[in-house]
Amino acid sequence: MIRVTDVIKKANGTRILRGVSFEIQPKTVLGIIGASGSGKTTLLRCLNGLDRIDSGTIDFGAVCLEGKLSQAEYARRLKELRRQVGTVFQHFNLFPHLTVLGNIIEAPVHVLHVPRRKAEDEAYRLLDSVGLKDKARRYPESLSGGEQQRVAIARALAMHPELILFDEPTSALDPKRTARLRALFRGFAEQGQTIVIVSHAIGFLIGLADYLLYMEAGEIVEQGETEKLLNEPVDPRTRDFVQQAENI
Amino acid sequence: MYICVNLWPIFGDLRDSNRSLRLRTLTYLLALGSLSFNSAQAQQTLRWGADPSGGAPYVFNDPNHPDQYIGYEKEMVDALAAAMGRKAEFVPSDWETLVSALQRKSFDVIVNGLEPTADRQKQIQFSKPYYIFQLALTVRKDEQQIHALADCRSRVVGTLGNTAASRLLQKESVPFRGYADPVAAYRDLELKRIDAVLMDVPAEVFYVSKSATLKRAGEPFFRGTYNIGLRKGDDDLKRQVDAAIDKIIRDGTLQRILQKWGLWNDAQAELQTPNRADQQVAGYDITSVSFNWHEAVWRLTRAAAVTVLVAFGSMIIALLLGMPLALGQWKGPRFLSWICTVYVEFFRGTPVLVQLLFLYFGLPAIGLAMPGWLTALVGLGLNYAAYESQVYRAALSAIPRGQWEAAYSLGMSAVLAFRRIILPQAFRIALPPMTNDFVSLFKDTSVAYAISVWELATAYRELANASGQFLLLGVAVSLFYLAMSLPMAHLARQLETRLQRGRAIEAVETEVAG
Repeated sequence: MIRVTDVIKKANGTRILRGVSFEIQPKTVLGIIGASGSGKTTLLRCLNGLDRIDSGTIDFGAVCLEGKLSQAEYARRLKELRRQVGTVFQHFNLFPHLTVLGNIIEAPVHVLHVPRRKAEDEAYRLLDSVGLKDKARRYPESLSGGEQQRVAIARALAMHPELILFDEPTSALDPKRTARLRALFRGFAEQGQTIVIVSHAIGFLIGLADYLLYMEAGEIVEQGETEKLLNEPVDPRTRDFVQQAENI
Repeated sequence: MYICVNLWPIFGDLRDSNRSLRLRTLTYLLALGSLSFNSAQAQQTLRWGADPSGGAPYVFNDPNHPDQYIGYEKEMVDALAAAMGRKAEFVPSDWETLVSALQRKSFDVIVNGLEPTADRQKQIQFSKPYYIFQLALTVRKDEQQIHALADCRSRVVGTLGNTAASRLLQKESVPFRGYADPVAAYRDLELKRIDAVLMDVPAEVFYVSKSATLKRAGEPFFRGTYNIGLRKGDDDLKRQVDAAIDKIIRDGTLQRILQKWGLWNDAQAELQTPNRADQQVAGYDITSVSFNWHEAVWRLTRAAAVTVLVAFGSMIIALLLGMPLALGQWKGPRFLSWICTVYVEFFRGTPVLVQLLFLYFGLPAIGLAMPGWLTALVGLGLNYAAYESQVYRAALSAIPRGQWEAAYSLGMSAVLAFRRIILPQAFRIALPPMTNDFVSLFKDTSVAYAISVWELATAYRELANASGQFLLLGVAVSLFYLAMSLPMAHLARQLETRLQRGRAIEAVETEVAG
């Protein structure tokens, strides 16, 4: 279980996260929803260590980040944490100088020191699972947005992370591709992958996320099971957001 | 202006008469004007050219009055001009290009301890001699083995480029290095960059007698004359100059000047017997060099090799040093970043020529005396490192932050991310400007002539000055430069294409498929 407790993150004196606490159950899918600027992307960046938290704890069991740690100790623990957390960025951030295959085997070969052959076999298996086996020798810029995203997913999965984070996965997709991505995510969830999805597209999360977490102004307004939060929101702010989302 | 205004009514009157008359009148007026201008000038001045840089005791800057020139030849020309009823006007020039400057009419005569060699006689004419000189070999005080020129066959001897001394060394197959001025040659001897210096006695007397570390090796030998150089065809002027030389020799003026500068010796008395002096000029052929194209191309090839060595060596230094500079300036702690910025701004903000002179002449003061080629290599390397660091820095900061973040998220360390993800992408961005810099570095190696490195530009200057073949040699030297820089540009283009190829083919395939 991953436990986040009282996390505060400041930037230029302003609190972007104002004491955030929640839990992520293993082998579940958690959706983080909220308007732009609510702090959900910052939360994601704290979970994978790209932003340092100022106080509170993020406890992964084997490794625990604390705001009060020294710089060196924080950096040491980050290294551990990043082995357990994979990220698929909103703009994918594929490595343009490497082929699709090169993108996927780069970290297994150079970070985990997996033999190249073995890493390539694994990469082909992953590409097969995202339907891109024939694009292994391509360079990222020759792929469509949806294809690039699936390469980024395969790249993250190749490190066998405990937890995989998605930042706005539907932002670049048309409805047809969104449906296909959803099916892909369900497949991962059924295999027992723990997933956190940051999104403002509630529709995408219905029937996919087990739990939802609604954020506003750097705080968690409400959290709970997806059906319950959407159908019987307790807080009026949640109700407004859900209603507006449905109207669109 | 005044004249024009007054003449205007005349032109007005001529307006109706025929056109050719008008033009002829105008031509007459102009010719008259320029004629009177020229003759007024010629009656008043004798413009003489010489190289005052390190030119003691011939003509040089008075250390006590740096805006004035002094020297025995200065005093002699003043006396000559007085004898001719003119006023001497000194035109500071450059030793290597004196002959061509005379032909370009930058001045009327050359008075700079000029020897009447056969090759020069093809281009200019000479007055009668005014001084009989000998050559003296100088070595360091602790030198035990060199007593005569014959002991120098396996040593390097410094001398002025394109002089009787340098021709003699060439003829005797003694390895030598040509300098632009005597000071640099004697200084390099003191710094053990060379083993001996062969110089005309006047310069030798001036420098070595004051030096605590140098001594004369053996007795002065050889004999030659100094004559005044004039343009061919200026026969009137030659007659006047010869007459003036005769006069100051006969009335003792020249002897007084030479005695004052410690240059008088018994040999000079020969000049008072005109016949013998004339023979001296006629028999003076041993130090002339007829121009040999085979040899010239061979020398250019060797010079090109030095250019290549210096260019590649300094580029390697620049590429290796540029990266830590870029990183220090970009991501280093504040103090380090500041130091890197100072380095970059210093080397970009001062001329590379000054930097080379400083390294060559300044560093020996703290005991670091590098040979010329190494100084050029290191100097240009340090200079270009400043430029390459900026190319690197621009390339590195052009890589989106998302690339770092993606690498970190995959568990890479900063070093691994830099090496595997950032650097390969930055290299592609940096390659075209770096190629560009390398081509310009190739050309910048020519500043090494200032510290007597025998590279292509120096070779051109020396060979062209010796032969007068500025045009043909210029073409040859340009071909050498092109032969080196074109393959390099080609290579860089190929490398760029290879780096892009994978992606380019992909793009085409996608287009076709789409």
